[in-house]
Amino acid sequence: MANEMEKNNVKVGDYIVIQRQNYTKLHKVTLKGIVMLGKDQLELGPIIGRPVWKTYKMIPKKNGKRVFVLKECDNYESLAEQLKKDVSCGSDNRNIFDDGRSQLLSTEEIVSLRTSGMSGQAIVGQLIENSKTFRDKTEYSQEKYLKKKEKKYFEYITIRWPTIRLITEVMYRTDPLKIMGLRMDTLSQILTIVGIHTHGTYMVYESGCQGLVAAAMLNNINIGGQLVHIHPGNLPQKQAILAMNYDNDKMSCLISVNIYSLLRKLQENSASDENNVEVNKKESVINESFLSESESDNKAIKNEENSSNDVIDTKENVITEKGSGSGRLVCDSLKKDDKEFVEEKEITLNVVHERKRKHSDPGESMSKKPRWELETEKAADFLRPSKADGLVIISREHPSNILTALLPYVAPSRPFIIFCPYREPLLEIYIQLKRKNNTVGLRVTETWLRSHQILPSRTHPDILMSGSGGYLLTGIVVECSTSTNTQESGSSLQ
Amino acid sequence: MSFDKFKDTIEQGDTVILYLNVNSMHAIQVQPKIKNKKDEWVENVFQTTYGALKVQSLVGKKFGTKVALSRGWAYVLHPTPELWTLTLPHRTQIIYTPDISMIIFQLEIRPGSVVVESGTGSGSLSHALIRCIKPQGHLYTFDFHEYRVSVAREEFETHGIGQYVSVKQQDVCQDGFGTELNGKADALFLDLPHPWEAVPHAAAVIKDLGKLNQTYRFEGQSNDFLTVEGLPKELSVKMIWRDVYTNSLFTNF
Repeated sequence: MANEMEKNNVKVGDYIVIQRQNYTKLHKVTLKGIVMLGKDQLELGPIIGRPVWKTYKMIPKKNGKRVFVLKECDNYESLAEQLKKDVSCGSDNRNIFDDGRSQLLSTEEIVSLRTSGMSGQAIVGQLIENSKTFRDKTEYSQEKYLKKKEKKYFEYITIRWPTIRLITEVMYRTDPLKIMGLRMDTLSQILTIVGIHTHGTYMVYESGCQGLVAAAMLNNINIGGQLVHIHPGNLPQKQAILAMNYDNDKMSCLISVNIYSLLRKLQENSASDENNVEVNKKESVINESFLSESESDNKAIKNEENSSNDVIDTKENVITEKGSGSGRLVCDSLKKDDKEFVEEKEITLNVVHERKRKHSDPGESMSKKPRWELETEKAADFLRPSKADGLVIISREHPSNILTALLPYVAPSRPFIIFCPYREPLLEIYIQLKRKNNTVGLRVTETWLRSHQILPSRTHPDILMSGSGGYLLTGIVVECSTSTNTQESGSSLQ
Repeated sequence: MSFDKFKDTIEQGDTVILYLNVNSMHAIQVQPKIKNKKDEWVENVFQTTYGALKVQSLVGKKFGTKVALSRGWAYVLHPTPELWTLTLPHRTQIIYTPDISMIIFQLEIRPGSVVVESGTGSGSLSHALIRCIKPQGHLYTFDFHEYRVSVAREEFETHGIGQYVSVKQQDVCQDGFGTELNGKADALFLDLPHPWEAVPHAAAVIKDLGKLNQTYRFEGQSNDFLTVEGLPKELSVKMIWRDVYTNSLFTNF
């Protein structure tokens, strides 16, 4: 049942992962799809309507440039197997002298072989024939050589359905900074420690991670469960969520809300309509002014957002170049009194007011609530009565105030977990939390991950290893005790 | 009931985690009487370094609150697979949470997955797998040790998750997983002394596009495989106060 999605046929609009040997790339399927894989351009027409996990051979288009069409085939043949059979090998490298001139073909000749449309196997065969030293190499050395050439001349691709594991790999490899260095082992720990049950309610505050953590948590939630995805600014980063091709049922378990709107909703009693309108207006100002860099990232996927009707009324022409000044502002303390809170922020952000923006017509707000407000109400309704079963914070901003604001909405005896690419903010928070009495089991951890090469007689750890996958602060929420006992372990009652 | 759904109040028969400090936790079964070493039924009183706890008094208390011990206090926490891993009685070497999370992540286990596991061991991984796959998924777990099989079965029942798991006594290296499971598993996990012996049987059981995972090295053909080792490092965080010298001697360099 779980793999039914993987048996899908590829449709226009789906995201897929194109794999060529170890290189994987995330791609959205379009009607006349063309994708660049390194220096090669592939025309993806043939994959539409076919199941995933099919292998395609890249056939050059014979116009001299590296453009390929795809032809479905059953399996790919490993070059190493094919070419090694007929060649003898040496026993060690004592007689091999590397003068850089073992290959008799010149660079131009090799390039011309490539553009002439010769198959990868034939090209590598030519290279071997014209190599002075190939026959003297040891068997392992020949294999390594062929594997290296295979990487370059490999002409088969496989189409795969995105999974969290694949997407994490692709994103981490392409640009780890875009996901704040969240390595897969750290992500896997976040998912397990927050302990997702399919029917639970979970909060995730995410900014700066392309939606990866929200997508991963959503993966394990089905109808009956809820994921409240909290973000700064107007639009959440959704790249990973979109890439997972979630269906409507799954997406109905996800509510995306802006943090200020959510906190206000959770804190307000019954405000009058008038107050609401005024608050809305000011709120839209604040929302814009706290646009973090996620906004500029989001421009690229804004078109997709628009088409799914997720854009707030007032925001259409508003996303101008805010510059870095307004980004990354951290709200120091969220006051309970709405007005006071609003005014404080307006004083510091006068510059933002000067820019062009469209305000919502007060009359409009009163008659029809904007979609974001309905979503916020929905989220608040989930969190107010029975609180969340878990909280994950993974943010570019300093997590301290975010944790303080959201922790009251986590039920007692439930886990919370904060990710940070650096350890210092977590250490500060650890000390802060130790002083209060509302959490136990506090741990700050970092994981060390190393992969291994496994080959007969050549098994060893890989030489290159990632330095850090980020740090985690985990703990369990408990009911704040009224006693003044500050020590964690039970001490004698006075 | 304990591991299946979250609830607010402790009831008779629940498993609760008594938390003393971050390195000292105990799993307790809430029942009025308990068998002692001489196989006699005695009143269930749990002893800790901070005093004794009459376990029956936990009924009606809320999870996540403090309870009094005769010489101090402790917290009672809702059981979770993570806390269970730290407090369960070991019958074998167990797998801890960092490895468990990697396994679940790599095997792409989700709600509804059918997972096959061998050996069951002490059930540490099993609890985490079950949480991931319920309610529609199922875990088939095998161990060749009779006692371990019966204890595991009993534990799953007591914890309220027996409906999601089938424990069977079988030597999967010799006899495989049973033909009724052929082509049914989305994911298969082997933690055995000689996992390569079970691999041919494993191949029969895994669906097209299923995943195989083992704790030991594995040589052979596979479409896409990865060998990693992970080591969690816990940081010890302490507040230390240091003096700062402000004498002029120190600033006139």
